Amino acid sequence: MSQIQNSNTADTVPMEDDTMAVSVRELTRNFGKFTAVDRVSFSVQKGEIFGFLGANGAGKTTTIRMLCGLLLPTSGQASIAGFNVYTEAEQIKMHIGYMSQRFSLYEDLTVRENIQFYGGVYGLSRKQIKEKTRELLDYLNLWDQANKLTADLPLGWKQRMALSTTLLHDPQIIFLDEPTSGVDPVSRRNFWLLIYKLAARGKTVFVTTHYMDEAEYCNRLSIMRFGKIVEIGPPGELKAKYHARTMQDVFMNIEHREER
Amino acid sequence: MNRILLSIIRKEFHHILRDPQTLVIIIIQPIIMLFLYGYAITLDMKQIEIAITDYSKTPQSRQLIHQIESTSFFKVTAFDIPERGFDRLFKERKARCALIIPSDFARSLHSKQNTKIQLLVDASDPNAANYIYKYLLQINARFTFKNNPHLVQPFLMEPRILYNPDLKAHNFFVPGLIAIIMLLISSLLTSIAIVREKERGTMEQILVSPVRPLQILVGKVIPYILIAFLDGVLIVALGHLWFRVPIIGSGLFLAATLILYVLTGLSFGLLVSTITDSQRMAMLTTLMATILPTIMLSGFIFPVASMPKIFQYLSITIPATHFLEIIRGIMLKGNGLADLTRQVLFLFGISFFLLLLSVKKFRTTLE
Amino acid sequence: MQRILYLIQKEFRQILREPAFLGLIFGAPLIQVLILGFAITTDVKNVPMIMVDQDHSQMSNRLVEAFSNTKSFHFLGQVGTAKEAVHLLDRNKIKLAVVIPPHFERDLKTGRQPRVQLLADGVDGNSAGVALSYANQIALKLQKQWFPRLPHAPGTVKEIHLTGIEARMLYNPSLESVNNIVPGILAVLVMLITSFLTGMTIVREKEIGTLEQLMVTPIRRGELILGKVIPLIIVGLLLFTIAIISAGLVFGLWMKGNILTLYGMSLLFMMTTLGMGIFASTLARNQQQSMFITWFLGIFAILLSGFFIPIENMPRVIQWITYLNPVRYFMIVIREIYLKGTALHYLWKEALEMTVFGGAMLTMATLRFHKRVG
Repeated sequence: MSQIQNSNTADTVPMEDDTMAVSVRELTRNFGKFTAVDRVSFSVQKGEIFGFLGANGAGKTTTIRMLCGLLLPTSGQASIAGFNVYTEAEQIKMHIGYMSQRFSLYEDLTVRENIQFYGGVYGLSRKQIKEKTRELLDYLNLWDQANKLTADLPLGWKQRMALSTTLLHDPQIIFLDEPTSGVDPVSRRNFWLLIYKLAARGKTVFVTTHYMDEAEYCNRLSIMRFGKIVEIGPPGELKAKYHARTMQDVFMNIEHREER
Repeated sequence: MNRILLSIIRKEFHHILRDPQTLVIIIIQPIIMLFLYGYAITLDMKQIEIAITDYSKTPQSRQLIHQIESTSFFKVTAFDIPERGFDRLFKERKARCALIIPSDFARSLHSKQNTKIQLLVDASDPNAANYIYKYLLQINARFTFKNNPHLVQPFLMEPRILYNPDLKAHNFFVPGLIAIIMLLISSLLTSIAIVREKERGTMEQILVSPVRPLQILVGKVIPYILIAFLDGVLIVALGHLWFRVPIIGSGLFLAATLILYVLTGLSFGLLVSTITDSQRMAMLTTLMATILPTIMLSGFIFPVASMPKIFQYLSITIPATHFLEIIRGIMLKGNGLADLTRQVLFLFGISFFLLLLSVKKFRTTLE
Repeated sequence: MQRILYLIQKEFRQILREPAFLGLIFGAPLIQVLILGFAITTDVKNVPMIMVDQDHSQMSNRLVEAFSNTKSFHFLGQVGTAKEAVHLLDRNKIKLAVVIPPHFERDLKTGRQPRVQLLADGVDGNSAGVALSYANQIALKLQKQWFPRLPHAPGTVKEIHLTGIEARMLYNPSLESVNNIVPGILAVLVMLITSFLTGMTIVREKEIGTLEQLMVTPIRRGELILGKVIPLIIVGLLLFTIAIISAGLVFGLWMKGNILTLYGMSLLFMMTTLGMGIFASTLARNQQQSMFITWFLGIFAILLSGFFIPIENMPRVIQWITYLNPVRYFMIVIREIYLKGTALHYLWKEALEMTVFGGAMLTMATLRFHKRVG
């Protein structure tokens, strides 16, 4: 345990550093007696694709919700794009995009109407919304489906569309909570291509996932277990450390070690 | 076979007992409803505000006013208001009615055969207006007999009120409430229970197991029969012990009809759940299509005989109409099966028809 | 402001896209006004009754005739004995039996005051009371006619001085309960639909997950609530209008008072119902729960509003409770405006009470409605 904590502190960077998109120190959240997130510290650099791994119930979603300002932390510090999660939740919301594991578009609105609605909610002007709609439909190649109900789209497309709508206001940091669960392999690949493009444009991507192959795509990973971060680092380093060929092996190794 | 059924029943009980909302529907709401209705619904009006304008100011007129004041039915809130002030008085709701005694009241009382007193009533509540008018007629009759010792009635009307001699409202409403509450529980809970499984996809899971559709239905229904029945017993007991509603007829017969009625409610719920796909629609349909009509058209509050003909026919299709006659008959009149054969047959018919329909619908939705 | 417009637009698109919902919103007022207006009647009419004539004289015939020719009673004929009549009462075939004793005519003419027995089914105490008073009125007419035939009458008839009551029924001269019930239905409708819909549209977004999505946008809490509430107010007013028009067309009942006062008051009232809906949505995890909460509150609110049980009749303690019931105030207001044409300056107290309630309810709901999930 102590070794891990050391690696954590080694990784902690001063909060003031403005190259950091996300910095978190000793972040904790209790639900009654249950501690969902336990003194977690880490930071994410601008333009990084940061992966969040862990079994179900490890505390990934709770962490993401605290970072998005949806949930107040019990204790600890966190700042997103330089804003404090306790006091500046609303400013944070201007600078982030969030896509939850539940599909979050209105199924009874058409594709175009969804884009229009979220654009409006983010305060884009009518002209901007028009432009964005055209841009998005071009980009997603959804022109034929633009006036169809979102409910009728295949899941993979819905997912990409959901991601695109969270980008309408051009956020710096994008939080993706298990974005590809239930999606076929081809769609998942397409989705990740999109994530790469975003990172190339300087966006910070914070993503949680179950899929170990996806973990390999990340610049850096953190692995959570029972509310604690047990491992953090680039995939290559982690594999080397555990003498493993794949991230799958790393993950199993850690689970195994912790059980003992 | 039996083990399959048992496991479905057990599962259903777990659902019910673990869902606080369902428990509220089952236990708390009936009790609150019983007490609120039991106490809120009373028929005797009291302390009706009356304005009296006495232009006569004689011992005779004062005697009449005294008779009005001495009842608890009226409360005199305004005296000697000029006639043009009445509209305002009614609009401010300071008085419900106004009595105007003419200036020649005393003289006329000695010389003329008929003396008129004017009464103005705010009839926006016609029921109250009727009561007020009738009560004043009674006071007037008393006044008349006192002034005319020679006046005797050629014949007398002698009312004998059967079953509920004191005309207690409880005796009318408590049995009615039992009918409403049991319907609420049996139909609402079943409709939700099945649709919930559809919504969550657990129905499919059960369907791929080697269970026959009928078993599923029976397994789902049995716990609710039991619960609704126990609820019925609870309310009957409360009504009997707390509100002192008599149970003159056979308790066993009452219990049997309770079960029959629960069955009817359940078949309603089943039907609703087979034709709807979401809990929201199921709940709305049950509330709108079964519970509201039942409250309004079954004779629970409003007498069926006073409704237009179409609604009287419509009320025949409502199970509660028949059950109300059954339960009031057993509790208050001591009716036995011989007196209530028609109603019991109706309930059997309705539930058989609904069950048949829902089993058929259920089958086709599976295919 | 612009954001609110987008929210409103979205809300309307969703409402228009669900036909079942649309049917419910617009069909419900029409059907309810129709059914309830016709069915809910506190009038007691067509009371089924029979006569038992044990005298078969000219005078007893007159009495039978008098009972068979009235709208209040549904005359089902005659049976031979009181026992048979009781049996019919037992079986719920009749509610009243009038038993004329043997030697009725002879006793009457000799001044021995024969007693006519009224056997009434007292289960429904209200109806029984009304039926008995109808019977007494019928009897009274004959008593007046027959008084001069009494043996001692010739000497005393000149000394009789009667007082009569000349009643004028204001605002509702025909005494039809429809006139009282229909405005009540309008109030109940507004309450049920707006509180139901509010709770449900919010909780639905909670269930689907779009509410969480909205919470991470920079939209303000107040904007979010207004964006939800404004479409519902519009729907509520539309529905109210449909109900008013159908009440007018079907029952010929139009308001006597000022229409603007009525709409203003209904807006005040909707503050409360919408607040209630939002409040329910913060408590509920799913649509079913929110519906249940509003239904639970609604049924008591209706009962204690004076809709069909006059509040004055209730025991003191329950009367106090009704002061906490906002529907009570709107019920008074809508009836006053509809039937009496009462002007605003007589209703300011109710308006004030509704404003206080609505304000408190909305504030409480808004405070409970966080832009956070935990």
